Amino acid sequence: MKILVADDSRVMRQIVVRTLRQAGFGHHDVVEAEDGADALAKVAAENPDLILSDWNMPNMTGIELLRALKAQGDTRPFGFVTSEGSDDMRSTAEQAGALFLIAKPFTPDSFQDALSGVLG
Amino acid sequence: MTITTGPDTDLVQAALEQVWESMLYAVAEPVPSTAGALANGLEATITVSGAWNGELRLFCDAGAASQMAATMLGAPADEEMPELDVHDAVGEILNVVGGSVKGALEGESRLGLPQVRPATSLPDPADCVAVSWRGAPVYVQIVSLPA
Repeated sequence: MKILVADDSRVMRQIVVRTLRQAGFGHHDVVEAEDGADALAKVAAENPDLILSDWNMPNMTGIELLRALKAQGDTRPFGFVTSEGSDDMRSTAEQAGALFLIAKPFTPDSFQDALSGVLG
Repeated sequence: MTITTGPDTDLVQAALEQVWESMLYAVAEPVPSTAGALANGLEATITVSGAWNGELRLFCDAGAASQMAATMLGAPADEEMPELDVHDAVGEILNVVGGSVKGALEGESRLGLPQVRPATSLPDPADCVAVSWRGAPVYVQIVSLPA
């Protein structure tokens, strides 16, 4: 499977990729995007099976990305990996169609819990 | 309801401890009394606006920042990191601390994007939450600003 990781921090993208590996998902292909707009373009170009996105990004935020995808009728799994894990944001994410929200800082266990049902 | 009180230092301390453990694979220990003043310092800033308006400002030595970036990227500890990655890493540390702080505030708030630059002035350490990175001080200051 192919996973799209969207985060405006290159360092955080590397940490997400490393945590995916530590959580046992290292055999999947990973594509990186540096903001929501880049992610939207890469969804079309790369056809990922799963999208992991930061929330707070320049150009297009993660929630704007999710809403843009849903407006296109996109049904692929989408989850947030974000520093903001309040109840309000979890509710907003869920209402927009996100499957899960992983709050930073995270551990491999939190990735396993959120992703095992999606990636198997 | 308008909330005028900002985040307390215990909240920032707890967020730093979580970041040290899960992103830097270290224990956030107190700054040793032998630690010198910051030299060649970096300053990261992130704004919180809404029920409380203010900034979190993180100060650390550029050498410590480079080591933290190397740790976050899985690079050798003594590898000199590009400035872009160092600023990115320090900004992301503060972004995660800011996310924890924002989540604990009552009312609606917005978190800005982190900005990192060379420090032009240093805060009084007594006004900051301070933790040690391999013996070097890392300070986080909570600054309330007008709405």
